[in-house]
Amino acid sequence: MPDKKDDLLQGTLDLLILKSLARGPMHGYGVAEWIHDSSQDVLRVEEGALYPALHRLELRGLLSAEWGVSDNNRRAKFYALTVAGKKQLMQETEYWRRMSGAIARVLQTA
Amino acid sequence: MATGWLGKIWQRFRATSRPDQLNRDLDDEFTFHLAQRTEKNRAAGMDAAEARYAAHRQLGNITNLKERTREVRILTSLETLWRDFTYALRSLRKKPGFTAVAIATLALGIGASTAIFSVIENVLIEPFPYPGANRFMTVEIHDANNVDAAGRAEYSAPEFLDYIEKNHVFDLAIADASEDVLYQVGGGMERLHGILCTPNTFEFFGLPALYGRVMEPADYEPSAPPTFILGYKAWKSHFGGDPSIIGQTYILNGAARTLIGIMPRRFGWGDGDVFLPVKPSRAEQAFVAGEFPPVWYLMGHLKPGVSVSQAQADLTVIANQLAKIYPKSYPPRFVVKIVSATDMVVGNFRTTLTLTLGAVALLLLISCANLANLMLARATTREKEFAVRAALGASRWRLIRQLLVESLILSVCGGAIGVGLAALGLNSIVALIPPVTIPAESEISLNLPVLAFALAVAMLTPIIFGLVPALRAARNDLERPLRDSGKGTSSGTSGQIRFRDAVIVCEVALSFTLLVGAGLLMRSFEALRGESLGLRADHVLVTRLPLPSERYQTASQLVSFYRPLLTRLKSLPGVTDVAESSALPPYGGFPTDIEVSGAVHAEKWPALFQLCSERFFDVLRIQLRVGRFFDEAEVAAARKVAVINETFAQRYFDRINPIGRRIRVSDLANFPDKVNDPWFEVVGIVSDVRNKGLQEPVEPEVWLPYTLTGSGQRGILVRTANEPLSLMDSVRREVWAVDRSVALSYTGSMENYIHLQSYAGPQFGFILMTIFAIVGLALVSIGVYSVVAYATARRTHEIGIRMALGATRADALKLVLGMGLRVIGVGVAIGLVASLTLARILASQLWQTSAHDPLTIGGVAILLLAIGILACVVPARRATSIEPTLALRHE
Repeated sequence: MPDKKDDLLQGTLDLLILKSLARGPMHGYGVAEWIHDSSQDVLRVEEGALYPALHRLELRGLLSAEWGVSDNNRRAKFYALTVAGKKQLMQETEYWRRMSGAIARVLQTA
Repeated sequence: MATGWLGKIWQRFRATSRPDQLNRDLDDEFTFHLAQRTEKNRAAGMDAAEARYAAHRQLGNITNLKERTREVRILTSLETLWRDFTYALRSLRKKPGFTAVAIATLALGIGASTAIFSVIENVLIEPFPYPGANRFMTVEIHDANNVDAAGRAEYSAPEFLDYIEKNHVFDLAIADASEDVLYQVGGGMERLHGILCTPNTFEFFGLPALYGRVMEPADYEPSAPPTFILGYKAWKSHFGGDPSIIGQTYILNGAARTLIGIMPRRFGWGDGDVFLPVKPSRAEQAFVAGEFPPVWYLMGHLKPGVSVSQAQADLTVIANQLAKIYPKSYPPRFVVKIVSATDMVVGNFRTTLTLTLGAVALLLLISCANLANLMLARATTREKEFAVRAALGASRWRLIRQLLVESLILSVCGGAIGVGLAALGLNSIVALIPPVTIPAESEISLNLPVLAFALAVAMLTPIIFGLVPALRAARNDLERPLRDSGKGTSSGTSGQIRFRDAVIVCEVALSFTLLVGAGLLMRSFEALRGESLGLRADHVLVTRLPLPSERYQTASQLVSFYRPLLTRLKSLPGVTDVAESSALPPYGGFPTDIEVSGAVHAEKWPALFQLCSERFFDVLRIQLRVGRFFDEAEVAAARKVAVINETFAQRYFDRINPIGRRIRVSDLANFPDKVNDPWFEVVGIVSDVRNKGLQEPVEPEVWLPYTLTGSGQRGILVRTANEPLSLMDSVRREVWAVDRSVALSYTGSMENYIHLQSYAGPQFGFILMTIFAIVGLALVSIGVYSVVAYATARRTHEIGIRMALGATRADALKLVLGMGLRVIGVGVAIGLVASLTLARILASQLWQTSAHDPLTIGGVAILLLAIGILACVVPARRATSIEPTLALRHE
């Protein structure tokens, strides 16, 4: 069962990460907190799954990464959207809107 | 900006290439995460330990997490690499013409240069397998009046002993001499090439025996049991390649000798079949009565630190002493020259190979230039593609990586085919090399460092020039190509155009030089072929017949073999004529001094003389000018009659009719089987026949009846009705019918003999040069075509506008042709200057052909211009068939 939950998350995790970075560069902890906060605790990102995803997106060129200093003066790795990342985010968002809209309509007709 | 993206690429490179760096980065990333989380937990009211524990629990097992992240990184890298690879393949397949041309250019460049470099390395630079071979020196005595003429490198035994005992410059010196070795095989006799070697020979060469042992000092003593050593080739061909034969006794030249060793394959000194130990003595006696004493080819190993000029000075002192003892062997004024063994053996062939080396370097240069041009032209057409992709979010690193992958695919394909071509080309070149021109030791194989060099040079070119669009994209120069397309008039920046044009100009100039070289060598070869030998060489079978020296020493013994043989051969079906002879044109006979009765002269009168039977002139179709040939009765009676050539008559008889006059062939009196009172009556004059090779002027020559003396090597010439080689077996049967112990050696057609001696070298040079010139020409036409076609494509829009505004098709044609012809014209002009400058180098290889031959140079210029026009025709036709409305929509 937990596997299934992971799969569900895996599909949407990339989109959530991209979205979280749309406002500006952020470190991994920040991304986790943002997803957590903005979904009002509904979407609990498994923190262990977050980092491999961040690295994958970085290598695919959707994110860029740079070492910097956090608000409280700690060395941290900041991720930011690349041009390709922004484009990907737009496409994925559009796809999700249509999908969730369609699913909502289907569920209403019942 | 530049340092920014370069720095990032570097960082990324470091991160992927150094796993510990990645490990540390991951540690830092997780530590930060845990610290943040712990802080937040503390703020929510947990105590320190609890807060830290909760943070760890939420993140999960760090080691496990690191492992997962690393795996993801590897998988994603492989995935993107694969995507780059398939993308590159797709984009290369979309332009099959470009891909094929680029790969072919690479392959030709790598293949040709590696093959030739390998030949040169193995023949010129390291031909010998012997340690210290670069300090092997021969000693030559040259006439001071003609230093460039061939010198003497062979010495009598007393001379040789003086040189090795009195010199201070060689730490070891040896000598070898050739001798026919007759060896009984089955029903007949075979001739082996024997090398007499002096003490220390095997220490000198420093190669151990393959089987058995090499000679030891005791083996050379006259009292020692007779032994011999076998060369590898003869061991394989005549002794079945069986190592167990060591210690067996064989009858060589009628005497029993024990085989003590077999030498390895690359021991080929003197191209010997068998090596016989000999200790030369000052007595200077022939080993066999009736034979000439051997002449020793001297070679010394220069002491460390001794220069060639020091050695020359030291040996000149000895030579001056010897010249007083043997005044006949030394010119009145002479120079001693020390020549390295490589120079001695490779000699004249060196120039051909060096020329070829130059040609190959030019070819590799053309290939690289062509490739650079192709890549640049393609890069320019793809600028927009890259600008669009960059605008759509592809990272610079990604674009660069993609181009790298594309270039790598081209490089690897071209390189692989190039290696194949190199191997193939090497085999064909080795097959083409005239066998007598390179040392028997040299082993021509693919040279790996050279191959690596050619691969590196040729493979770097596409990578460097293929990266241009990516670098431009990375320079943030992205909008320009997009803006450009609106105007549609650009064909690259003026800098690019100038570079591309310069490359084509260089290519045309280089190719011009190559073509002129090939053309001149071809003309020279034709001139050589057109050179009259003074005889008809077709349908003549020749063979040398070394006679067992213990039974054939006197004239009567010699005649007892040849007279019945000539009669038997004459009656063979298919034989039209047959003759005995002591020499084979185009090289003639023994050197001698001449006296003419009634003529007084202070200086020596040199001439060549040859011993032959009466049919010699008929067999070779040599023209009688005045008088008659000697006849059968005169030959049978060994009468002192002589036939001379026209050069002889003109030089030594000066307006006097030579017929009936008497001449003295002085050196016959010094023959082992000597002719007393060698005065001869001249009975005829024949037209000149080449006797110093094809390229040297004819020397005065005398022909005498072969029955006069038993000394000197002889052979037979058989004129046949059909293919001469078809008679080889019946000729051998007749020889063995007269005497079973006579061997046939150097048997073949006269035409082939002359070809090998005189034409094979020049022909090799010109064929090689022609291959280069053709490959070069192909590369140049590809180059011109690709550049003009590209420029035309870029200007389609402009041409469309011009035509819409009333320009005719002829105008468009002129525009395109003008683009091509301008660069070709400049290239031809530069090439012309270059070839005139380089002509000096080629001049020494030319025979009766001017290095500035206007026909060749003019022909090459026309050929290149024609090829250039042809390369412009396709793009020009495309341009003139443009529909204006279509062209305007082209972008």
